[in-house]
Amino acid sequence: MNVFFTLWRREIAAYFLSPIAYVFMIFFLLIMGLNFFGVVQALAEGGGNIQVMQAFFTWIFFWIPMLVVGPLLTMRLFAEEKRSGTIEMLMTAPVSDTAVVLAKYFGALVFFVITWLPTLAYVAILKACGAADVTLDYSSILTGYLCTLLVGALYLAIGLFCSAMTKNQIIAMIMGFVLVCGVFFAGIIFSFISRSDSARDIATMFCSVQHMMDFARGSVDTRPVVFYVSSSALLLFATVKLVEARKWK
Amino acid sequence: MENMIEVKNLTKRFAGCAAVNDVSFTVAKGEVVGFLGPNGAGKSTTMRILSCYLPASGGEAKVAGFDVFRHSLEVRRRIGYLPESTPLYPEMRVDEYLSYRAALKGVGSRRRRARVDEVKELCGLTDVGRRIVGQLSKGYKQRVGMADALVHDPELVILDEPTIGLDPNQIRQVREVIRNLAPKHTVLLSTHILPEVEMTCQRVLIINRGKIVASDTPDKLRTRLQGGREIVAELRGAGADAAQALQQLPGVSKVTTEPDGEWTRYILECGAEDIRPLVFAAAAKSGWTLRELRQEKQSLEDIFVALTRTEQEAK
Repeated sequence: MNVFFTLWRREIAAYFLSPIAYVFMIFFLLIMGLNFFGVVQALAEGGGNIQVMQAFFTWIFFWIPMLVVGPLLTMRLFAEEKRSGTIEMLMTAPVSDTAVVLAKYFGALVFFVITWLPTLAYVAILKACGAADVTLDYSSILTGYLCTLLVGALYLAIGLFCSAMTKNQIIAMIMGFVLVCGVFFAGIIFSFISRSDSARDIATMFCSVQHMMDFARGSVDTRPVVFYVSSSALLLFATVKLVEARKWK
Repeated sequence: MENMIEVKNLTKRFAGCAAVNDVSFTVAKGEVVGFLGPNGAGKSTTMRILSCYLPASGGEAKVAGFDVFRHSLEVRRRIGYLPESTPLYPEMRVDEYLSYRAALKGVGSRRRRARVDEVKELCGLTDVGRRIVGQLSKGYKQRVGMADALVHDPELVILDEPTIGLDPNQIRQVREVIRNLAPKHTVLLSTHILPEVEMTCQRVLIINRGKIVASDTPDKLRTRLQGGREIVAELRGAGADAAQALQQLPGVSKVTTEPDGEWTRYILECGAEDIRPLVFAAAAKSGWTLRELRQEKQSLEDIFVALTRTEQEAK
């Protein structure tokens, strides 16, 4: 357990020791700011009967960075260690493969949460501008963030899995992006084009946009929670096996 | 004596091509063993298997009685390993890095600070503790790698080319460090620099094409390979009959002469017996001036070349 925390601390620190993290955060917050601005403006011009933060979580500018963030934050994790050879130092220390994978994953997850934290300012801004409590439903904002975390957890796990496959960060990033987009768009497309009801129901289970709409409205369904947690766990398991795979050759 | 490393019929194949082929050797506790071999002979592969980075395709390897595959964590706790290219995290500071590695290797938080200071002292890193690893020169990085390998006070230290990229002064320091490890720790080191092995190691393992071709002390290897010894005498005032006279000495099988100005160098090939006193007596009796009388030592380099070449030619 001690070993896990040692590894975990280094993984988090590694994000802040490179300038890329800050550049990434700036662009991320820029787009989120744009998203917030757009949503507020649209609603001020007489949008529908929808709360500001609810719209914020479901607008297109929310999803564009979401699709990129997973692979972008995780592409370095294994690929860079393999390229520079530090993986040899890491794996010859008395640490289990599982501890390494989990430390890297939770390090990325913590950084993901940290990049989201500044967006809480939007809630404060709305409050300061005198938004009535009717339009600021804190519990549904909380569930909106919860769903963001769940979706993020899956996308980070996909990214980490891709990073463990290659030595090249760019390849890891592209593979991760393709897989994330695959999962994302498959859910949307099949929930629209499926003819039969049962097929549409199944597709809806995978549709992140649908989940996000529900959660941001404050309606928490346990099925998506189970879906995201279990699929992330499955990918992490696969990643551990990938890291172990060097021993099968 | 107890064995620190036990390797039995170890084989490692990469895509059908054997990098290590049926290798067996043991290293006793407290020994310093040099691992020699030409490029691609299987040195690094063997070391990687011992340090649990790669699994073997066949055979078994044990470190301190633990199998490297089945009890990998136990083995890794007891090993300090420095890989060939010294990979380090470039963004960390030296102190940070060493303390991180110490924590990973299970050095308790109370002892950690003291251990890091100790290995920094040992490897000459005291002045660079605050520097960022990525900005250090090759030599310093190498020393950080050494410090990392030693930080948890391991029973067995495996060093893959520890002196590569160092300047002569640094090489001397590293040699000193390795020699000081000897009684308490067991050391297995690989290198291309042969005098290095002669100076630091008690025993040499020569590996070629994935096979151990020799394993002995440098001295024994020498006599074994040479069969006999070579004595060089430089004389003046000796006529053509000097060669004849020297040939008469007991055990001398062949005498070759090389003129060197007014001096002549006689090279005597003889048996195991040291006949230098006889050469001196012969010179004194005949009134020759003797400038030099020495026994030629075959360098480890010659042994290395001889062993690895015959092996290659045999194939």
